Amino acid sequence: MTTLSDHLDDLREHGDLLEIGDRVHWDTEAAVVATEALRHNCAALRFDETAGRVAYASGVYAGPDQISGRENRPWRRIAAGLGLGHDVGCVDLLDVLSRWETTPLSEAVLLDPAADRDAGDDLYALGLPGVDDAGRQGVTQGVIAVERDGTTTWAPVRGTVHRGSTLRVVVPGAVDEWFEGGRAASVSLGVEAATLVAALQGWTQDRTVPAVPERAAGLADVPLARVDGRVVPASAEVRIDGVADPTDAPVSGPEATWERATETATLSFEAEGIRLREDPTVPFVPLGAPLADDVHLMSLVEAATLYRRVNGYWGVSPVSWVQLPVESRLGLCLVSSEILYAGFDWQLANALFSFSDYFDKVLVLDEYARPTDLARALDDMWVKAHPGNDWVFSDPNAPAATAPVYRRDGETGSRLYISAIWDPRWDEDYIAPRVTFESSFPEGIRESALERWEALTASRAGDDGIEDLPPRYDDDAASRGDGA
Amino acid sequence: MTVDGFRGYLREVEARDDLVRIDDPVSWNLEASALTMLANENDGPIPLFESADGARLVGDPYRGSQRRPWDRIALGMDIPPDASRREFYDETIRRLKDQRSPETVDRRDAPCKEVIETGEDVDLLDYPWPYIHAGDGGRYSNLHTLVAPDPDSAWIDYSYHRVMVHDSRTASVLLLAGEQTPNLFYYKYERRDEPMPVAIVVGADPAVQYSSVMWIPTGRSEAEFAGGLKGAPIDLVPCETNDLLVPADAEIVIEGEIRPDVRRDEGPFGDYFGYMHGPRRSMPALEVTAITRRTDPIIPFCVEGTGVGHTENSTSSMEIGCVGPDATLGLRAGGFDVDRCVPWQSTPRTVYVISTDATAPGELHELANFIFTTWGMLHVDFFVFVDGDVDPLDQRAVLEALALYADPDEDFHQFGVASMPKVPLNIYQTPDEKGNAQTGTSKAKTAKAYIDATRDRDDDAEAAAEAADEETRYWARTLLAGAGADPDGLPGIDPTEVEP
Repeated sequence: MTTLSDHLDDLREHGDLLEIGDRVHWDTEAAVVATEALRHNCAALRFDETAGRVAYASGVYAGPDQISGRENRPWRRIAAGLGLGHDVGCVDLLDVLSRWETTPLSEAVLLDPAADRDAGDDLYALGLPGVDDAGRQGVTQGVIAVERDGTTTWAPVRGTVHRGSTLRVVVPGAVDEWFEGGRAASVSLGVEAATLVAALQGWTQDRTVPAVPERAAGLADVPLARVDGRVVPASAEVRIDGVADPTDAPVSGPEATWERATETATLSFEAEGIRLREDPTVPFVPLGAPLADDVHLMSLVEAATLYRRVNGYWGVSPVSWVQLPVESRLGLCLVSSEILYAGFDWQLANALFSFSDYFDKVLVLDEYARPTDLARALDDMWVKAHPGNDWVFSDPNAPAATAPVYRRDGETGSRLYISAIWDPRWDEDYIAPRVTFESSFPEGIRESALERWEALTASRAGDDGIEDLPPRYDDDAASRGDGA
Repeated sequence: MTVDGFRGYLREVEARDDLVRIDDPVSWNLEASALTMLANENDGPIPLFESADGARLVGDPYRGSQRRPWDRIALGMDIPPDASRREFYDETIRRLKDQRSPETVDRRDAPCKEVIETGEDVDLLDYPWPYIHAGDGGRYSNLHTLVAPDPDSAWIDYSYHRVMVHDSRTASVLLLAGEQTPNLFYYKYERRDEPMPVAIVVGADPAVQYSSVMWIPTGRSEAEFAGGLKGAPIDLVPCETNDLLVPADAEIVIEGEIRPDVRRDEGPFGDYFGYMHGPRRSMPALEVTAITRRTDPIIPFCVEGTGVGHTENSTSSMEIGCVGPDATLGLRAGGFDVDRCVPWQSTPRTVYVISTDATAPGELHELANFIFTTWGMLHVDFFVFVDGDVDPLDQRAVLEALALYADPDEDFHQFGVASMPKVPLNIYQTPDEKGNAQTGTSKAKTAKAYIDATRDRDDDAEAAAEAADEETRYWARTLLAGAGADPDGLPGIDPTEVEP
């Protein structure tokens, strides 16, 4: 279990957290700084000097874009937040997220809430950062907990502060239906990655699963607490208790990514009490910015569900990995798979279109494509797929995808899949081997070159700090092969 | 100030601690390329092999850093390597407009004449041309400038065609019809049954190397463009066995002629798109007549196919740093409203990204049509158009535009599914489709496409919502730099002005 506080310490230890010591105003200034940090692949941020009672953090579950650097792993902060370390491979992460393991509440870790300091009921006093120019404080990363018939669920929220005690939040529409009217609820801010992932898995995927606390506990031993009969994340930095009622009033500001493919409803949440940890930190997301946390979280949750479904549908598990690159804001899906028979690429691409509403473009790669090399995967799109034969468009009657900005009116259109695989009709001799270190040199040359290069860089390291070579293979490559 | 030739360039690289000298013997037979590939993939220093079977080799000397693939191209032109993307493009374009006439120097003053080998003394195998990938068809010289004349005018073309060594005096040259020098050979010299005199200039001034990968308009002096890039005249000297003038400070000049109706095997080769393409094919044969050189020449080479996706060798860096600005200038000169034309960093010769504010109906089609029928005919399969406010060198931003703004219904435009020419350097055609045509293009035709990833008017409001004004964004970046963010990654931030 990795609380947000643990996670921030861990990022700091790994040089992946910058402390912003200057005073930054909550009204969009913090969001602009956070956006620039994301846009330029900076570390996560902690804003130490704020006007309110909480410090801010941003980018804590975001990461660098993979395409700009060979070693970049966009998912590394989420993986670290899940307690999986900084070096976990993409496929291993997908495996963990797609298991959907649960821990019964009776077996989960129950603690007293860490947020035990009474902070009244004035939301404005928190000084939560706003992310648009409407001048409202906002909630951009957190969960709402509500109980019904002895079952507590957690759901993702996005919202804005409207009066000192009123928070208006967007939730998945199914949550509103599950509520059946007004109920006591808690909004938790500054929670673990597992809590956010479980809430998205519970309410934004193909079927709703209200038992989210059980899933969070199953995913990463998230400690739980009981407050007024409902279960809440025990380690939350801030907990706002109150009553939530459905409302038709809108919530201003840019949408979170999960809202793009999920029907939503709005709740008016009347705060009755605010509880804080000591020196609380509230992560926020500059929604609409590239590479923001909401994009990363939804990308992984959606990819894990698709990975589970396409590997559980035909009685075999041919798919090596699925990605919805954060760089594409989920508008593109990459799938690496064994091609079981001629036409399987078409079948696979169209199954993915059926299973997700986000994208209308799928790139099919062979099983040798590495999930850690997006640039190379895209290279296959451009050089391996025949520009006339392998860019395949459907008839124009497909539903509009939700990630792209076109056809938001729901007008139907075409989908595109690109088949960057070898033509199954080809003779083996036609297939071009990849140029890699491993394929280009005999073993003796490779070993000798590696030794010499390591010696050379080591001898320079004293002068200029050149680091050792990274390992030739990562876990993903080692387990999935590295090409012909 | 200008860079003092290829050696001066290497000194500049070394002065920045970006070059490593390898004194122990290294073989041309895969060893030098293996070490170079490691350097390329790990963003390491440029390897200079001091003892490579009797001579010196340098692996991928123009490879840029992974974060700024144009930085060593800039260094070769004495442009500050920390120039921003836009500053580098603008300065390169300015220099291309400011051409300088070359000057002819006496043979005695030409370093490339320190040793002159003619007649029986000529032996290509005296030099450590590298065997680059296991599976290549042979040893290659693949980082040089091929100098060839138009038989009907005074025009001399500089171009870049790899050469596979066969024996002491013979090599095959990859000439693909559709490009300037190959067209001169196939449609003028060979039709007249005449040999084409050539000089292969190895290790010339960086500006000469850069101009050889650019598409300089037919009839224009490439030496003058090279002088513009260098900011000073290029010194030329006459060849020994033909009438060509060649850069005087080159490391090696191979003189010879490409014979009509004589072919030699060429390939396969691990090529720029990251695959070992084949099959072996017949290409025009070069008969070597003289080799002139410095006493201790340095032979540069490129490990093609490495760093695919991350611009990690000399040719991919030259595509970004040289071809991009040249193409931008060419399109503007053609009357097109182009902000910048940039090779897609991951796949630089197959895909180009053009940022433009063009809005007139049909303008993108006309632009793509122009390119596909001219310099983009053979290698380029795709163009991606993005708005003028999208940085085409930012692959993340381009991928985002592609995913979010390019509607499969309306924005993907294929040009004739099986009607367009293609070089056989591809992996999506079968060997039968590629064939072994006399002029080097594939037997089967193919398709090309352009993708309109610009925003529609209705999308503008949403896109604008995320953007703060530049002044505020700059302030934010200064705050990040002050907090310890790497200033190299923050546009507009001068590392020397960041307070610790």
